[in-house]
Amino acid sequence: MKMTRQEFLKTLLAATAMPWVGAARADQGSPVLVGATVPMTGPLSLTGKQYHNSLLMAEEDINKAGGINGRSLKIVFEDTQASNSTAVNAFVKLAQETKPSLFFLSSYSTQNLAVSPELKKVQVPAFYAGGADVVAEGGNEWMFRVRPADSVSAEGMVQCALNVLKAKKPGILYIQNDFGQGGAQTAAQRFEAAGVPVVGTGAYGQNDKDFSAQLLGLRSKGIDVLLIFNYPQDGALVLRQAKVLGLKMPLVTSSAALVPAALQLLSAADLDGVWGVVDTLIDPSVGGRMQDFVERFKAKFGTDPDPYGLAYYDGAMLAAEGLRKVGADPKALRDWFASVKGWQGIGHLYSYDSKGNGVFDLAIVKSKAGTKSLELVQTIKLN
Amino acid sequence: MTDLIQLLINGLAIGSVYALAAIGFVIVYSATGVVNFAAGQFVMFGTFAGVAMLLNAQLPWPVGYGAALLAMALFGALFFAVLYLPLRASPVVTIIIGTVAIGITMQNAALLAFGSWPFRLPSPLEGVNLTVAGATISAHAVAAVIVTALMVALLWLLFFRTSLGIGMRAVAQDIKAARLMGLKVNRLLALSWILAALLAGVAGLMLGPMWFADTSMGDPIALKAFAATIIGGFGSLPGAIVGGLFVGLSEVLGASYVSSAYKDLISFGIMILFLLVRPQGVFGERVQDRG
Amino acid sequence: MLLTDYHLRLVNLAVISAVAVIGLNFAFGYAGLISLGHAAFVGMGAYGVALLTTLLGWSSWLALPVAVAGTAVVAILIGVPLLRLKGHYLALATLGFNVSFSIVAANWIEVTGGTNGISRIPELQIAGHALSDERSYLWFALVVLAASAIVAALIHASRHGRAMIAVRDDETASSMTGIDVRRVKLAAFVLSSVYAAVAGGLFACHMRFISPEDFGYAHSITYLAMLVVGGEGSIVGAILGAMLVTFLPEWLRFLGPAYLAFFGLFVLAILIFLPSGLAGIRWPARLRRNGRMNIPGLLAASEEVRP
Repeated sequence: MKMTRQEFLKTLLAATAMPWVGAARADQGSPVLVGATVPMTGPLSLTGKQYHNSLLMAEEDINKAGGINGRSLKIVFEDTQASNSTAVNAFVKLAQETKPSLFFLSSYSTQNLAVSPELKKVQVPAFYAGGADVVAEGGNEWMFRVRPADSVSAEGMVQCALNVLKAKKPGILYIQNDFGQGGAQTAAQRFEAAGVPVVGTGAYGQNDKDFSAQLLGLRSKGIDVLLIFNYPQDGALVLRQAKVLGLKMPLVTSSAALVPAALQLLSAADLDGVWGVVDTLIDPSVGGRMQDFVERFKAKFGTDPDPYGLAYYDGAMLAAEGLRKVGADPKALRDWFASVKGWQGIGHLYSYDSKGNGVFDLAIVKSKAGTKSLELVQTIKLN
Repeated sequence: MTDLIQLLINGLAIGSVYALAAIGFVIVYSATGVVNFAAGQFVMFGTFAGVAMLLNAQLPWPVGYGAALLAMALFGALFFAVLYLPLRASPVVTIIIGTVAIGITMQNAALLAFGSWPFRLPSPLEGVNLTVAGATISAHAVAAVIVTALMVALLWLLFFRTSLGIGMRAVAQDIKAARLMGLKVNRLLALSWILAALLAGVAGLMLGPMWFADTSMGDPIALKAFAATIIGGFGSLPGAIVGGLFVGLSEVLGASYVSSAYKDLISFGIMILFLLVRPQGVFGERVQDRG
Repeated sequence: MLLTDYHLRLVNLAVISAVAVIGLNFAFGYAGLISLGHAAFVGMGAYGVALLTTLLGWSSWLALPVAVAGTAVVAILIGVPLLRLKGHYLALATLGFNVSFSIVAANWIEVTGGTNGISRIPELQIAGHALSDERSYLWFALVVLAASAIVAALIHASRHGRAMIAVRDDETASSMTGIDVRRVKLAAFVLSSVYAAVAGGLFACHMRFISPEDFGYAHSITYLAMLVVGGEGSIVGAILGAMLVTFLPEWLRFLGPAYLAFFGLFVLAILIFLPSGLAGIRWPARLRRNGRMNIPGLLAASEEVRP
C-alpha cells in the first residue's frame, strides 16, 4: 500500500472533522423533535430494531394525521449498543445537539438506570421500557414506563401457575441478568406468600446454549409447573430442549420467548404445552387498530411486530397527544403525562402512578394445539 | 442414572463444538504465533455462510455445504492478506488488537447483511432423535461429534502423512529455517489461515442447527475455545479436543451438581488452576519454549 | 471552553480511561506483562467506592483510598501466582480472572446488586461544592490525570522504572544485574491495578451508576487497544490512545448502522500505518516549535522506551 503516514493522518483528520462541521449547522427549525436511544448494534439489536421500526411507523402516522398542531414530528435515533456508558453518550448527544422535547429510552433496565441521573439534569420527560422495579423506585419524576414492570410480569406468571394451572410444586428457571434475577426473586416471594413454595430454581447465563442440567435438575425435584424468565433466543432454545428432554409439565414463559423473532425458531411441537404471560397478545383477528397496526407493520418492514415494539408505538401516540394538548414545554408535558389516567393504547390501558408506572395489564396466552399461533386464555389486571 | 447419561451426552455434544473452534484457533497459533481473538467470529461467519447458502440461496445440502466452506476458505485467504501480511512484523499484542478490531468489523458486517433476527439453520437430520439408555439425543448432535472426530483424523493425515502438512509444521517450528530449505513460506502460512477458516466453517455449520444463529454468537464461543486451549495445552491438536470436551462436560456437570449460577466460574477456575499448576496443559508445549 | 456537555462527557470518559491506560502502561508498556484483566481492577475500584458510599454511607474521599488499597491487595494476591506465567499464558489467565470477576459481580446479588448494579452513587463534593456537571467534573478529572501522568513519569525516570523496562527487554540479563525480577513484575502489576482502581472510582462518581457490564473482559481488551493505538511504553501515547478510542466510535455515528464496522477498520488501519502508535507520529516541525506537543519529560519517556 502506497499511502504515506502523513497522507493517512490527513485522511483520518478529514474524516473525523466531518461530523463536527455537520453538528455546527444542526437544524433548530420547525419540526417537533423527539429523541430515541435504542440498541441498533450488538446483541440487544434484536429488540432495538423493533423499537426503531415501531417509532418510525408512529412518526409517519402522526405526521399523516396532521403532525403536532400543524408542525411535523421528527424522531432522531442514536445507537446505545449493549453498553450502559454508550447509552448515556447517545442520550447526552441527543440532549445537547438535537434538544428534543421528549425521549424514548431503551427497554434495558441498566441502560435506563445509567441514563437516569443525566435525564434529571436535562429535565425532559422520557418514556422507557426497562422492566426492573428499581428504575421506578429511583424516584426520577421525568421517567414514564410504557410496559408492565418486571414485578407485574412475575406476579402474572405466578397467578397463571396458581390459578390457571393449579401448581402445587412450582419450579423457576431464569436468565442471569437484571430481568431474570429480579423476576425470579419476585416470583419466589409471591409463591411463598401464597403458601406454595418453589421446590426448585435454576439459572443460566445470557450466552448459554445447553440447559439440560438445569431442566433435568428441576424435573428430578418433581416440579409440576415451570416458570421461565427468559430473553427471546435463549427462551426459544429452552422450550426446544425441554421437548427433546421429554419434560411433560406445563411451561410458563415470560413475554420474550413468544415474540415473533423467537417463535420463528420453533415448531408447533416445540410449543406444545407452553403457556406464556405476555405484555399483550398481538392478535390481528381482534380487528380495529390492532389489526391495522399489525398489517401495516408487516407490509412496511417484512416482519411481525412484537409487544415491546407496540409499547413504543403506543408511547409515541401518547406523546403526540400530550404535545398537541400542552405543547413542547418539558414541565407541562411531564405534568400532563403524570396525570394520564385510562388512556387506551392499542396494547394497553395507560394510567400513570406517582412512580411513573403506567401499565398494569397482562395477557395469559397458550399455544393452540398443533399450531404455532397463540390464543388468549385471560387478561389479568394487577395493582 | 439416565439423567447422568443425558448430561454426559449433552456435555460431549457442546464440547465437540468448542473443540472444533479450539482446533481452528490452535492451527493458527502454532503456524503463525497469532492468538486470534476473532476466532469466535470465524465460527459465526461459518454459521452465516450456511445461512446464506442453505436458507437464502436455497441450495441443496451437499452443494450448500460445499459453497459455504468454499466461502470460508476464501475468507481465510482474505484474512491472511488483509490482517496477517501487513501486521506480521508487528509485536504480538498489536496483532492481537488487530484481530479484535477486525472481529468488531466482522460482527457488524454480519449484522448489516443478515439483520438482528436469529436464524434456525436447517440440518439434514432435522427432527431425528435417538434414544440411548433412556437418554434422548438429536441425531445432529451425534453427527457433530462424528464430524469432529473425522476432522481430527483428516488433520492428522494432513500434518503427518503429506508433504504439504509436513511443510506447514516446518514453518510452524522455524520460519527462517523453512525459508532456507526452499519452502514457499507465505503460501504455507496462507494455507494455515485457510485451514483455520475451514474448520471454523465446519464448526459453524455443525452448531447452527443445535443452537440458533445470531451475529453476536462469536465472542462467547471464542471465550470457551480459549479455556479449552489452555486446559488441553497451547498449540496441541489432541489438547484442543480434550480441552473442548472437558469444558463442555464441566459446564453441564457443574451446572447440575454444583451451581447453575456459578458454572462458568468452574471452567474458568479450572483453566486458571491449569495455568498455575500445569501451564503446558494436558498435551501442550513446554512453556519456556514460547513466551 | 466552548465544548457542549456531550463532548465534555466524552472527554471525561477519555480522561478516566486514560488514567487506567497509564496504569496498564506500567504492566504492559514497561514490564511487558500482557494483562487482559485490567477492567476487573477498574471494576474493583468502582465497586469499592460504590459499596462504601451507598451501603455504609462513607464519604467518597474516604471510600476512594480504601477501595484503591483493597484493589492493590487483590492484585498482590493474584499477582504472586499468576505472574509466573508469561506472554499469552498470562494474557489468557488474566482474561479468565476478568471473566470470573464479572460472574461474581453479576451473581453475588446481596452485595453487588447483581446485574442491576448499584445506582444513586453520591456526587463528589469538594469543599461543599458538588461536582454535578460535566465541566466541573472534568477539571477534577484532569487534575487526577495530570497527577497520574506526573507520578508515572517520575516512576519511569526512576530506578524502578528502568528496572521494569530491563525486565521486559531481557529477564535473564536483568536478574544478572541484581534486579529481583519477580518483585519488579509484581510491583508493575500492582501499580497498574492501583491506577485502574483510581479510574474505577472516578468512573463510579462520574456515571453514578455501575453494573457488571461496565467491567467485562471486552473492556480490558479496549484498554489494551487504547495503549497499543496510542503507542505502548509512552504516557502521552496512553492518553492519546484513550482519547482516540473513546471519541472514534462517537465521531463515526454519522455513518449510521455501519459505524462500528468502520470503527474496526479504522483501528486496523492505525495499527498498520502507525506501527508505533499515535505517540510515534513525527509531528510537523511547526507544531513542535509551538510547544503544543512538547512536554519534554513525557515525550522523552515515550521515545526512550520504543522497542
